[in-house]
Amino acid sequence: MMASSLAILFSENGRVVACDCDVDAPNLGLWLGITEYDSTKRISTSEKATINPDKCVECGECFEACQFGAIERTRGFTINPLLCEGCGVCQLVCPADAVELKKVMNGEIGINEKKLGFPLVSGQLYPGETGSGKIVQELRRMAEEFDHDVMIIDSAAGIGCPVIASVTGCDYAILVTEPTPSGFTDLGRILEIVNHFQIPFGIVVNKWDINPSLSKKIENWSGERLLGKIPYDRKVVDSIVNLKPVVYSDTEVTSEVLKIFEKIKNQS
Amino acid sequence: MIASTGGKGGTGKSTFAVLLVLKLSNEGKKVVLCDCDVECPNDYLLLNQEIVDPKPIYRKLPELDEAKCVKCGICSRVCKENAVFWVKEKPPMFFLDLCSGCGACWIVCPNDAIKPKEDLAGEFFVNQLNSNLWLVTGRSKPGISETGPIVGEVKRRAMELAKDINADYLIVDTSPGTHCNVIQALLNCEKAYVVTEPTPLGAHDSALILELIKKMQIPAEIVLNKSDVGDRKQVEEISSNFGVSITIEIPYSDELVRSYSEGKLEEMVDLI
Repeated sequence: MMASSLAILFSENGRVVACDCDVDAPNLGLWLGITEYDSTKRISTSEKATINPDKCVECGECFEACQFGAIERTRGFTINPLLCEGCGVCQLVCPADAVELKKVMNGEIGINEKKLGFPLVSGQLYPGETGSGKIVQELRRMAEEFDHDVMIIDSAAGIGCPVIASVTGCDYAILVTEPTPSGFTDLGRILEIVNHFQIPFGIVVNKWDINPSLSKKIENWSGERLLGKIPYDRKVVDSIVNLKPVVYSDTEVTSEVLKIFEKIKNQS
Repeated sequence: MIASTGGKGGTGKSTFAVLLVLKLSNEGKKVVLCDCDVECPNDYLLLNQEIVDPKPIYRKLPELDEAKCVKCGICSRVCKENAVFWVKEKPPMFFLDLCSGCGACWIVCPNDAIKPKEDLAGEFFVNQLNSNLWLVTGRSKPGISETGPIVGEVKRRAMELAKDINADYLIVDTSPGTHCNVIQALLNCEKAYVVTEPTPLGAHDSALILELIKKMQIPAEIVLNKSDVGDRKQVEEISSNFGVSITIEIPYSDELVRSYSEGKLEEMVDLI
């Protein structure tokens, strides 16, 4: 929600490119009211191994060497493509040249240039594929090609590979949390990542009114880093259902998002 | 072994997993809950537990013995993660932030100058809540991007525990998304609950996770959280496209939101 709102607001006075780097579950398009892309490019950022059963001598070297448990011993040896990371270790250890590494189309990147007045570049990892971090890198490279003053990146949840690929090299990070024990704990976890990469940041408490006392605690803990707090408004759900961006809707959330935007603008 | 998953963050995967284990354990079943969202584990908070006494989870990383290095650069050529940088006549430099621990470099090194070294990747915790309910929590070390193997290890520990105590159920709570850490969590599960919400976002992301679950050939059911808000039409379409029924509906309730944020979900078990 924050990323879509900021992209729209920044685009009112400058050139924006918006990136959906939550390649596992990309939703920025939907928040911006977009369901179709002008162009979609299938990409390959990973490889997978296969074992040729005619050449395999069943020595088990690959089974022992694979660090990802991707080699299954049933009748002979086979590779579980869901677990294969494409590292090529099995090929290196195979004495019979039975392993082949093949590039796989593991995702796609869609671009919508027309509808919003600014380009949206959105990535999608195909379910069951690996290489989400590399799709994020490719997506950001494609987004850089558009002239822009501000690039807005929507990252995935968590602190793993796609998140790290999303926050590296950013000038500023907005950490969105909610006043629940989970929200507060996870805020601490993402903070370690942001600090590791030495990225300046601000904090937004979403749905602050579902637990005002914990919200207060997070606000105090955030101190000067607090950018604002957003109330819970069930009308936000209606605006998602109608594919209407929150900044264009009449919700209690809208005015708070505007205040947060002003604060971020003055900091950057 | 049953999974609670859902693609999208914040749909209620953990809430559902916790309600499910509370319900089963109240019925007298022996249950182990395994929190496989190792990047941001939350089940212990929802169950009002503290996690203490961490047990380490290691991964293997390369370590170079410069005295043995012949400066050939083969290690750099085989690394698919670009984690080994080499210039002629110099020993290689390792960027361990990028390393997946696959072992290609130490396998090809002609002079055994690279050896695998155990490195802390994360930790796991075991809580026994009562005579019927155990919780195994995995947590990755911040800064580690490859979290799939950590999930695999945490799950292995939970499966051992479930066997030791003769558990009736092992419930696995996955992280959001559809990549390696979710795949590891879903592996070998006999059933998956896909927790989603009636919005275009929920519909979109549940279709992605259902695609993965179909590939993995795991029987699935849809849990529709906040079932009375938004518009359920799209989720119903996806349910019929994938041939997966919506078997559980949890209506929106302020009470549930409050009990979640206060760690008192046991009061809400009747919702499922």
